[in-house]
Order: sequence, then C-alpha cells, then structure tokens
Amino acid sequence: MKKILFLLYFLFLLTFTFLSYLFIDPNLIYLKPLYSGLAFTQKSIITLLYISSILVFFGFYSIFIWLIRKKEVYLNEFKIIIGLTIAVLFFSYPAMLSYDIFNYIATAKVIFFYHENPYILMPIQFAGDPLLLFVHAANKTALYGPSWIILSGIPYLLGFGNFLVTLFAFKFLNVIFYLLSIAVIHRLTKDVYRLALFALNPLVIIETLVSSHNDIVMMFLAILALHFLTKKKLIIPLVLILLSILIKYATIFLLPVFLYVAINNYKSRRINWDKVFLASSISMLAVFLLSPLREEIYPWYSIWFLVFLPFINGRKITLFYLSLTFGLMLRYIPFMYLGTYFGPAPLLKIILTFLPALMLSVVMMFRYLGKRVIFNRR
Amino acid sequence: MLIKINLFLIVVVLLCLSATKCFASSSYVLPYPSTMPGSIFYKVHLVEEKLLQYWYFGNFGQFYYNLKESDKYLVEAKTLFEYNQYLLGYNALKKSDLYFENTLPYLMDAKKEGKNISDNRTMLSEASKKHIEALLKMKSEVPEAFNWTPEKSSVTELRLFDTIDNSIMIREKYL
Repeated sequence: MKKILFLLYFLFLLTFTFLSYLFIDPNLIYLKPLYSGLAFTQKSIITLLYISSILVFFGFYSIFIWLIRKKEVYLNEFKIIIGLTIAVLFFSYPAMLSYDIFNYIATAKVIFFYHENPYILMPIQFAGDPLLLFVHAANKTALYGPSWIILSGIPYLLGFGNFLVTLFAFKFLNVIFYLLSIAVIHRLTKDVYRLALFALNPLVIIETLVSSHNDIVMMFLAILALHFLTKKKLIIPLVLILLSILIKYATIFLLPVFLYVAINNYKSRRINWDKVFLASSISMLAVFLLSPLREEIYPWYSIWFLVFLPFINGRKITLFYLSLTFGLMLRYIPFMYLGTYFGPAPLLKIILTFLPALMLSVVMMFRYLGKRVIFNRR
Repeated sequence: MLIKINLFLIVVVLLCLSATKCFASSSYVLPYPSTMPGSIFYKVHLVEEKLLQYWYFGNFGQFYYNLKESDKYLVEAKTLFEYNQYLLGYNALKKSDLYFENTLPYLMDAKKEGKNISDNRTMLSEASKKHIEALLKMKSEVPEAFNWTPEKSSVTELRLFDTIDNSIMIREKYL
C-alpha cells in the first residue's frame, strides 16, 4: 500500500515538474526549445492545473503526516519521501511562481563576473547582458545582505559561465540548505512527525526546492544558532545569527530572543525552550505580517516562522500555520489567472491568503462555543 | 497677408531659437551643496570620501565615484565663490578637476573588460556640458584674479579666470 502511495507521489512530482515548465519566460533564450507559452495563453487551464496540484500536494502532505503520526511511516521511509521530492523537483523550472532566482544570478554576476559592487550598480547598467531579457528586478541594486552575496558566488562560479548550469547550481545550493535544516531540526526534536510538519509542507517544498528562495539559508543559520545556544555556547550562535541577519535582514527580530537566552545561559538559569521557540516563531510571524509595510506578503516569507513549527507544542497554532501556508499557495492564483498585479488581483490575493486561516478560526470558535454549551447544559 | 506670414515666420524662428537654447543645456542634474569647509561635519565627509573610494570598486564603480565627487566639489566651489571664499572655492574647483579627469580612463578600462560603456559615455558627455554651464556662470560672477591674504601668512594670487578656463578645457575634452 505504501509502495503505491510513494509511486503516486513520485508520479505527482513528475507532473508538477512538467507543469513548472509551462511557465517558461518567453525571453528565456536558454530554454527556448521548451517554451510553450501555455501559462500566458491558456490562463484558465493553467490556473486549474495549479489549483489541482496544490490540492493534491496538500493531500499527500496530510496523508504522510497522518501515517507518520500513526507510526506507519518511520524515519527511513521519511528519508525516501524527502529523497524522492528532491530528486524530482530539483529538475523543475525555478521561475514558475517567482523570478527571484534570476535576480540572485544577476546580482552574483555583477560582483563575480563584472567585478562591480552590486549595492551600487544595477544589472540594467550592463547594457547588452543577455540576463536583462528576463531578469525582472534588473533596475534594483542588490536586495540581499552580504552573507548571501558571498554565498551566491559558489553556485555562480560553479556554473562556469553557463546559464543553465548556474541556474541548477543555485537550486542545488538550496537543496543542501534544505537538507541541513532538516538535519538540525531532527537533532533538536528527535521527532519525525514534528520534523515532517515542516519538511514535507508543500509551501516549504515548492518555495525551497522549486523556486529556490534563499529564505531557507537564512533560517538554517538561525536554527543552527539556536541549536548551539541549547549547548550553552555564545560566540558560535552570535556569529551564526549575524550571518543569518546578513542574508535577508529579517532574523534581526530574533535578537531579543537570543539575548534572553544568552543572558539566562550566562546566569545559569533554567530556560524553557518551548517558550523560546514559540517566541522565535511569533517574532518571525510578526515580521512576516509586517512585510506589507515594505512591499507585500510573499508566500516564501512564511518559511521564517514555519521553521519553528516542529518545536511548537500546540494543535491550534499548528493548524493555524498550516492553513496559512495553504492560503499562501493560493495567493498565486489571481496573477496566474488575470495576468496582472492590478485590478481585483491585490484584493483577491489578500482574501485567498487569509481565507483558509479565517475559516479554520471560525470552525474552531464554533467548536469551542459548542463544547461550552454542552458543558453548561450538563 | 504678407505681413501676417512674416510675423508668423518670425514667431516660428524665435520659437526655434528658444528651443535650441533649451536643448543646448544639459539634462544632467548636479547635486545640492554638501557641507562646507568650516563645518564640523566637513572632516567627517572627507573621511567618508576616502572610504567610499573602496566601496565603489570596479571600473564602473570608480567612474561613478569620480563623477560624483567631481560634481560635489564643483557645487562646493560654486557656493564658496558666491560667498567670496575664493581660496576655498579655488581648492574645491581643483579637486573637482582632478576627479573629473579620472572618469574617462575608468570607462576606457571598463570597455577593455568588454563592458558596454555607451550609456555611461553619454552620461559623462552630459555631465561635461552641465559642468561647463556651471563654470561659465561662475566665471561671470568672480573677479579675474584675487589676492588672498590669510592672517600671518603670505599673499596668494588666485588667477580665477585661468583656473575656470582650465576646468572648462578639461570638461571639453570629455564632451
């Protein structure tokens, strides 16, 4: 039975990978032979396929979580699921839902190819560069911190000037950090079920293994810092959290938590780690919710708080986080269907993002009220 | 009827001439004046200037850095001349010249590296025009020469017209 389930999952991943290639940018000269234009001409069909894929993905997620919780899937089988996911989705087209990976490459090119400062020069200032055909943030200087810029040199240089090799080298870098994050979480929780809540979450998988967002790198460094804090170390976690902050700056909001732990460690006071992880998660959730002040809520930002999900003991908060991830994956639908960020798209995005979490809250509230009524009648 | 046509033609010619005058001025924008010598922040800006030299690495970076600093010192010179601070203004203009002269060599180096410099070359040309405009205005407002006599020190003769002419010549080379 499990073998069939794994086989179906494998086939689904293959289909999803195939679907991703329908989104190839018409200007991406390097993948011209694979360009179909379907994502731009057959918007209804593509949107329907995307919605179905997300539903199936969350379906598989629920089944896996259920099986792991029932102890019908153990660590070894969990590893197989992770292996299958990586092996297939590594080959997916990364700019299906976001063009950020092109920005990473363009920024890396400014420093490692042109030997110019990416915080001063924008990719657009290098007239005639083929990347300008499809990089969407070519008119912006580097958006990320120096840790990321330096790190991005590894996949960029490993690409040896070949765009497609570079593209997949960036994807490979994310695979490494995804696996490292899983390893650290497992070391801290020693619980496959809690680990799977994060590692098998479709949003985490899509945004990390398909779209290759660097948020996983930032959060890996943050949880590794926490791991060393649990070992009562001070310098290593400090260095790690600084490196994390210098990826995308968001983890600066974890500093109060770090400071609290460091002081308590120094004073040899007992630390309630459940509260530390909960506070970390809530801090990052707050930054996530504040992101519209800067730009807008992007689905991949949820990795900031989801990474702490395995450490949180609470059914309600777990369900809230998961319903939010589902809503965030629906956030892509308005643009996919309408082909514009304007008109009703912004409002629809907000509605779709928060609707599942809102519905869940209403259901929970009714269940709570129902229980109180029954209790009062008794 | 003939008078009307003539009048119309005169208006057209005048419009064309005024338009020509507008197109002759450069669209390049010079910065606001920064802190001036004598301010406590001026020394901080001098340190910042040295540090930024390293931050603007790369040939394009150095091009922007030198042009930015040249702009800054040109505006500084203009402001100081307006306040009759001729020695300080003279020094600022010399600094602006030095930075300006550095710009094109960095662009040429960038070209050797295979970078497309056409946009930056146009920008430099526009900057040259703007600088010349500012320098010509400056020339009309300063004396030809000025004897600067600082306290307990010897007299310095500042040949302001010659200096401004030299600055214009430097810019004209990069037009």
